[in-house]
Amino acid sequence: MVIVRRVKPLPYWIVPVLALVVGLLISMIILYVMSGGVITPYDILLSIYYGFTNVGLLAKTFALLVIVGIGLLVSFKGAIWNIGGEGQFYMGVMLAAWVALFSGFAFNGFIAKTMMILMALLAGGFWALLAALPRAYLNIDEVPVTLMMNYIAYYIVNYITIGEWREKQYGYYRTVTIPESTMFQVIDGTTITLELLILMITIFILVWLMFKYTSLGLRIKVLSSNPNLLRSSGISVQLTILMALLLSGMIIGMAGAAYLGSVSHNISYPVEEKTPGYGYTGILVAWLSMLELIAVPIAAYIIGALHTAGINIQIMGVGGAAVVNVFIGSILLTYAVLITISEYKIKIIVKKR
Amino acid sequence: MIEAIIALLAGMSSVFLAYYLAALGHAIVEKSGILNLAIDGIFVLSIAVAYAEAVYTNNNILASLLLTAIVAALFGILLAFLVTKFPISHGAAGLSMMFLGYGLASLVGLPARNLQGSIKGLEIGYTIDINNPVWIAVYIIIILIGLGALFFINKTKIGAAIRAAGEDPAAAEALGVNVLMVRLFAGALGFALIGLGGAVFELAYVQVWSEGTGMGHGWLAFAISLSAGRHPLLLILSSSVFAGLVKYMTTIQAMYNIPTDLAKMLPFVAAILAMVIFMATPLRRRLAPPKSLGKIYFREERTV
Repeated sequence: MVIVRRVKPLPYWIVPVLALVVGLLISMIILYVMSGGVITPYDILLSIYYGFTNVGLLAKTFALLVIVGIGLLVSFKGAIWNIGGEGQFYMGVMLAAWVALFSGFAFNGFIAKTMMILMALLAGGFWALLAALPRAYLNIDEVPVTLMMNYIAYYIVNYITIGEWREKQYGYYRTVTIPESTMFQVIDGTTITLELLILMITIFILVWLMFKYTSLGLRIKVLSSNPNLLRSSGISVQLTILMALLLSGMIIGMAGAAYLGSVSHNISYPVEEKTPGYGYTGILVAWLSMLELIAVPIAAYIIGALHTAGINIQIMGVGGAAVVNVFIGSILLTYAVLITISEYKIKIIVKKR
Repeated sequence: MIEAIIALLAGMSSVFLAYYLAALGHAIVEKSGILNLAIDGIFVLSIAVAYAEAVYTNNNILASLLLTAIVAALFGILLAFLVTKFPISHGAAGLSMMFLGYGLASLVGLPARNLQGSIKGLEIGYTIDINNPVWIAVYIIIILIGLGALFFINKTKIGAAIRAAGEDPAAAEALGVNVLMVRLFAGALGFALIGLGGAVFELAYVQVWSEGTGMGHGWLAFAISLSAGRHPLLLILSSSVFAGLVKYMTTIQAMYNIPTDLAKMLPFVAAILAMVIFMATPLRRRLAPPKSLGKIYFREERTV
């Protein structure tokens, strides 16, 4: 087997599509074999079909995945692998919940919602910054640090949820539901909320503008391809790393506020089990988009549908979050391997003696 | 006083062994130049496999350990093959295997737990504590493994080949080392140790299983390995610190009246701090990571 570089790279959409198809095939085989024939490929296809067509159920997952996907894309563009989306997301949820429940802004819906989003932005950014500082100044791999920060975030939110903020009346393991005035407003006839939609579109446009017109956007892109160029042109590599992770965390934090305001309306204990896992699924969205902003919504739609399908299969009885993880794992692995064929040709040469 | 210390040592021996094996396996994998981000997924999967096999074989510890090591080694071979044969990112391959590991772990564990629930009185595991003198053997085994690993990595031919593959695979290849074979071997051996670590963690420490058991502990092993500079003997020190921390979290928590969730956070905070301390001090230069760790090594590139 010989692998040689292609003269002309393949069109960029081929790899993600192939990865999806092959990855799904692999997951079907895994699920069929591991469940002892309980989960058949037919069931999976049916669930996926349901996932793709049930737009109402899909809408909010889609919008949140777009935001998280864009957030991760900002850091991935700079080859900074922010795997801490979960932590940044839940820090956002926590601060947004604080605004809604305790800040006293809840009397005015508009102010409260703005504050929720702003505080979530700060919280997410702060959480990402904690991992960005050791990455920038001590060169500590950001992957394990951001990942462990997820657990720290989970436990902080857990602590506050069943401690100070616990719903006292019935003693449920959750916080009080946020006041009506701070809930995001559902658009009639859909499941998506107005604020979530606005947030998604605004972030999309802002990030697009950033990469298109600002020097920061350019610096982040150069960071991944040639950090030495940054250094030699007098731009601080450290600062660029900090900015990439900070922006990434801020955007994901906002997704947290939107999740609290539109979907969950409270925080349930323990969060590591109740989490929708968008911080992890978002990685798949960002990667499958080939780090092209325009392709993020497409990837989010597909992954959102698979997410819904995964939950469906779970209801059938085997595996909790397992099925979604099998999907994520096998699609990503196929993608990571197939990415070589966009730049390289694989030739099988039989040796003649 | 001495009795108290002995009780402490005996109590944490199982976690100690689990972390040490996993961190040592991880160190061997990384010595060969493979950035191993799959560790947490494979650790969680190993826990599930060990649990399931113990349930199916009516608590046959040996079979459970053996099967887990084999399963984990297969994943190690897969990872080593992918990142050495193809020009693909170590991080991407490792992370996707992490997710795959999480998913497979639930698929493996859930049916076994349902079975365990339906059989009355079936309990799995092998308790190592103060009442079981095996705990002394555990400490001796750890020290022997540490010395053995040190000898293996620094004095044997294959150990030298592993280090060469991690420092400069192209030069190693030129000197006649088959980098692919060496990395396949290091991957299999390292992941088998990680698998054994997971199995010990489940069988000797946790002894029950629910979805997500062990998640995050693989990353602790990652931090243990990094903060000891992947040195087999220093690993003994750092894994004992984390073993003590994890095992006696509940005691510390009761003593200082810390809420459970904050106590659970401690090992992760400590892990990040340990990495920061290691990287910020001269230790980093003394025990530098392999030069080609995580770098794409692509042999065919030269022939183009």
